Amino acid sequence: MESLFFYLFAALAVVCGILMVANPFSRNPVTSAMFMVLTMISLAGVFVLLHAYFLAAVQILVYAGAVMVLFLFVIMLLNLKEEEKRKPGWVRMGFGLVSAGLFAALLLRSVAAARNAPLETAAATVDGGVKPLGLLLFTEYPLPFEIMSILLLVGMVGVVVLSKKELK
Amino acid sequence: MNYGELLKLLAPESILALTLLLVLGADATFLSGRAPGLRRAVAASLTVAGCMGAIYWIFFFPIHGHLFSGVLVVDPLTQVTKQVLLLLTAATALLTLETAFTPHVGEYFGLQLLATLGFLFMVSSEDILTIFVALELASLSLYMLASFAKGNLASAEAGLKYFLYGGLASAFLLFGFSLLYGLTGETLLAKIAAKITTTPRDPLLVVAISMVLTGLGFKIAAVPFQLWAPDVYEGAPTPSAALIASGSKLASFFLLEKMMTIGLSSAVGSGAFHALAAGWVPMLAMLAGLSLIVGNLTALAQTSVKRLLAYSAIAHAGYALLGVIANSSQGFVALLFYVMTYGFTVLGAFGVVAVVERQTGSDRLEAFAGLSRRSPVLAGVLFVCLLSLAGIPPLAGFFGKFYLFAAILRAGAPSLGILWLVILAIALSAVSLFYYLQVLKQAFVREAPLELPFSVKPSTQLVLILLALCVILFGCAPDLLVSKLLLALKAAAPGLVF
Repeated sequence: MESLFFYLFAALAVVCGILMVANPFSRNPVTSAMFMVLTMISLAGVFVLLHAYFLAAVQILVYAGAVMVLFLFVIMLLNLKEEEKRKPGWVRMGFGLVSAGLFAALLLRSVAAARNAPLETAAATVDGGVKPLGLLLFTEYPLPFEIMSILLLVGMVGVVVLSKKELK
Repeated sequence: MNYGELLKLLAPESILALTLLLVLGADATFLSGRAPGLRRAVAASLTVAGCMGAIYWIFFFPIHGHLFSGVLVVDPLTQVTKQVLLLLTAATALLTLETAFTPHVGEYFGLQLLATLGFLFMVSSEDILTIFVALELASLSLYMLASFAKGNLASAEAGLKYFLYGGLASAFLLFGFSLLYGLTGETLLAKIAAKITTTPRDPLLVVAISMVLTGLGFKIAAVPFQLWAPDVYEGAPTPSAALIASGSKLASFFLLEKMMTIGLSSAVGSGAFHALAAGWVPMLAMLAGLSLIVGNLTALAQTSVKRLLAYSAIAHAGYALLGVIANSSQGFVALLFYVMTYGFTVLGAFGVVAVVERQTGSDRLEAFAGLSRRSPVLAGVLFVCLLSLAGIPPLAGFFGKFYLFAAILRAGAPSLGILWLVILAIALSAVSLFYYLQVLKQAFVREAPLELPFSVKPSTQLVLILLALCVILFGCAPDLLVSKLLLALKAAAPGLVF
């Protein structure tokens, strides 16, 4: 049952991800944004299967909710037209295909290796609720937590500087 | 866990964070509306005072320890590196006084401090989660610094390019880290290494290593992840470019070395010509070779001095990678010596460029014509810095390269298989002399149409002369720094010394 749901969510995430960047039917940025929401939601489903309930909730609240609203606002404010099709040059295309192919080969090989020697799949024993997460944050990882708060300061200063009108 | 101990170990970082708040606060309150020159002077002196305070603290209260089993590592080696990083930032702040591209003075100096804070955290962590957050802190500040000249289209382009490429590189790095975590279930570098030895070699590990190298290769501007460098160096305000070239390089190389020698110590491989074996050494050897070739050959065709410095930075990333490839304590010391002295040298060069750019409005080669008569001090500093970059004997750059070559040859001693890389590096080092001399020819031989003397601020002169003296001092007596680094490394990681 669980693996059925996993395949469902994983397939949804991949299909929506592809439709987000390379939709054959529509080149409208809003459509892409909507497919991004679907990708986020399917990923949240995968998180639930991993017993990371808090992460799943945050994923939907923050990414599928707040961040996407921002995206849509920006798209509307910029008044983006349908994106034009651009023909990439042959050299660029060739390099891209070769490196993507090599990478795909590596990934396929690692999948094949995993099938031959299945790793002992640890059952998800971790409780991904709020309490264990908070305990970890305040016992083992307070430092990255503090650095994150400074990171937010950078974001704030940066946005104020970049968006302020220059008065001459 | 004891928060008091955390605060003690993080004292230099705390000083820097307080300074940052002071700089932002002072500029926003009682300095608002004052003359920009005064605001710059106050902000710069606060920044320098904060950096110096942190350096003094490290010097007089040498405290060492590991917290959370490696999330925070404070040992003699990280302390030396932090001191050099703080020095580089202080010098950058003083050089910023020479420019006047923004009315947002407090924010500019504040972001320099924030980037430095990121560098310090990058240096003192051995936990991939913390490393990533620290790297993002530094990167975000640098993106901002690159796009700070809002009236200038090139600066906006530089910022956007840096941000887009950087975001992509961060995504790769995060993917690589998550694969490492998935393979081992650990976030600490030492524990990751211990787990990797026990599992059979996995193709997924190769994917993880190549993704991590993509992310870090972007930070050090190694080919083929160098595309951002020329545009950013050219378009960004000169002090920002100087910080990207000096402090960011040092912190990133320190991080790369730790990541490879501690975290992936069991997936080394071999880059020897006749015995290639999978691992990170052959990958890095390829990056180093490509960086040397592309950097040095492309620099030959440049007419903008900042672009020339960008391509030379790419080439120097190739040289410095030799120290990582050596995978020995000698290689580590050689790498640190090289990147530290490179930081001083490139700051000096960028300082001269900043002055010339302000006075002539351009950083083309022609703008440097007659520099030796318009300002003998600047010309002298440029002379020392560029010759050191080219690797001329009595200067620091020569000994840096010498140590790197010695380290890598000794590391592969019995087989000499890695000799191909050293020969390539030496040959291209000769090529590099040509483009550095092109600049010096303009400065010393060519005549400018109108040779008015440059007016240079005393603070700028002082910093530039000190930087040039450092380059000469570490060239004449490299042992001053090398012995200190070696002692620190021995104290930090007794197991690493061989």
